[in-house]
Amino acid sequence: MKIKSFFTLSALTMSAATYAQETTSSMPLQISGAADVYYKYDFSGKPNIGTSFANDQNSVSIGMIDLALKKTTGKASFVGELSFGPRGQSGSLPTGEALNGDNSFHIQNLYMSYAFTGKLSVTAGYMSTFIGYEVIVPTGNFNYSTSYLFTNGPFQNAGIRANYVFSPKIALMVGLFNDWNVYKDVNGVTHFGAQLTVVPVDGWTAYFNVLSGRAAGAVGTGSIYDLTTFYQLSSKIKLGLNAADYTVTNHGGGHSGAALYLQNSFTPNFALGLRGEYFKIKDVPDLKGSSVTSVTLSGNLKAGGLTFIPEIRFDNSSTARFVDHSLDPTKNASQFSLAAVYAF
Amino acid sequence: MLFRLKIIQAIHWLRWAGVLLILLLASPRLKSQTLKTEQGLQKDEQGKYIHYEVVENVAPADSLMDRAIAFFSSKKLTVQQPAGGLLKGSGKLIISKTAFVLTHPSGEIWYNWSFEAKKGKYRFWLTDFLFIPYQRDRYGNFVPSTTRGIALESSPGKLNSGEWSSCVNETGRQSAALAAEFKEYLSASQKAKPFREANRPVSTRSW
Repeated sequence: MKIKSFFTLSALTMSAATYAQETTSSMPLQISGAADVYYKYDFSGKPNIGTSFANDQNSVSIGMIDLALKKTTGKASFVGELSFGPRGQSGSLPTGEALNGDNSFHIQNLYMSYAFTGKLSVTAGYMSTFIGYEVIVPTGNFNYSTSYLFTNGPFQNAGIRANYVFSPKIALMVGLFNDWNVYKDVNGVTHFGAQLTVVPVDGWTAYFNVLSGRAAGAVGTGSIYDLTTFYQLSSKIKLGLNAADYTVTNHGGGHSGAALYLQNSFTPNFALGLRGEYFKIKDVPDLKGSSVTSVTLSGNLKAGGLTFIPEIRFDNSSTARFVDHSLDPTKNASQFSLAAVYAF
Repeated sequence: MLFRLKIIQAIHWLRWAGVLLILLLASPRLKSQTLKTEQGLQKDEQGKYIHYEVVENVAPADSLMDRAIAFFSSKKLTVQQPAGGLLKGSGKLIISKTAFVLTHPSGEIWYNWSFEAKKGKYRFWLTDFLFIPYQRDRYGNFVPSTTRGIALESSPGKLNSGEWSSCVNETGRQSAALAAEFKEYLSASQKAKPFREANRPVSTRSW
């Protein structure tokens, strides 16, 4: 196995050398990635907060190692991104061990893109979702634990989409997609999605997103409307907002909520970020939905490619959805975590 | 059994031979990187990084100005209208992280450039360097993580000093490369390129 890895590495070296000699229209093969580990302690002594990834109680646990390749030749480009580890497998759909005993590697991105003009490009494949503020790869998030909006929204969308850049301030994407988080769709390409990108002023970007369609086995058509925006107020302060509403027709429920992000870089190496979130599960017949309010304070301490993320989080629910140290239901939960994320 | 053992030994030696080969290939690269750091940026009176050069040239000043405009335009840099004999503009450099097989853009450097010519000589400089770090987005592309640049003169702190100094060195190297190309373009030895219409087929009938 090691021998195989070694020869694979050598082959990569040779291919990189070959690419370096190609014409200027061919960009070198880009290789990048990330890895993360974490420790979490819920103050009740029980694993309580059920948002994605930082779930293991009182354990030094691994997240995932993520490897991404990108190659551009002329107007065509390809991205392939694989993740190995609980965060990218059992923590993410669709190849989690809960659903698939093989628990195979998880593809984060696998798509091809072609730029027909400087303004129009078409992309097809399996891509990270365009919905929401947070992402699966930990280097893309300031906070280590994730929001309820992220956990309950789509993770990936396979499909085909066209992007058109009207101006540096306005762009539009429209596409047809599979059901959420599946490599292949059993009931056809049933979802329509669109994203309008607006840059009102320098440093402020807003994404208006919609994704609608009837998933296999669903009682109705699910539609999610999402606003993701951030504003770099100064070189140190950044504001972000994510608001979403998801509804499934025929009394299929859904959710809604909003999360506000405030980050301040005190030094080039140290930043603090606060996330406040309100999240509500919609009522369905015979079951009243509950809501939860969450506050998360995270630090980002950077040393080269390494980022330490100490974090404390408090969640308060309208119903007793958590448990205390005696396993009695309670409305509150709080946790501390320390994560290390390395980007390369 | 013995044959199998020999095969395993051969594979083992092949592995080490491969590692040695890679180390040998990597060593000239390390040497060249050391040389590159010697082409560092200087600092001006205000303590800002600058690439500054004064070049003697016998060409008329207006001709040099025209050539400078043509050069910066061909590089797709922002070019302002000359004012009082001073030509100004801005541009950016891409900083890449390269280590072994790993390579990807890690950020970009915004800068302002200036050019001034008078009889017998001209000068130009690149300064106001701002670093915009890149971040991998959800689709696996490297994009600017902020719209507000960090001045290259900023103190990165102990924890990031290694990466920062390599960024400064790379800025110096790319500035020097651009400057060399610029000087060559403006030099009297520059030869006119033969005119040829794009994609015009070669005619073999008349000669």
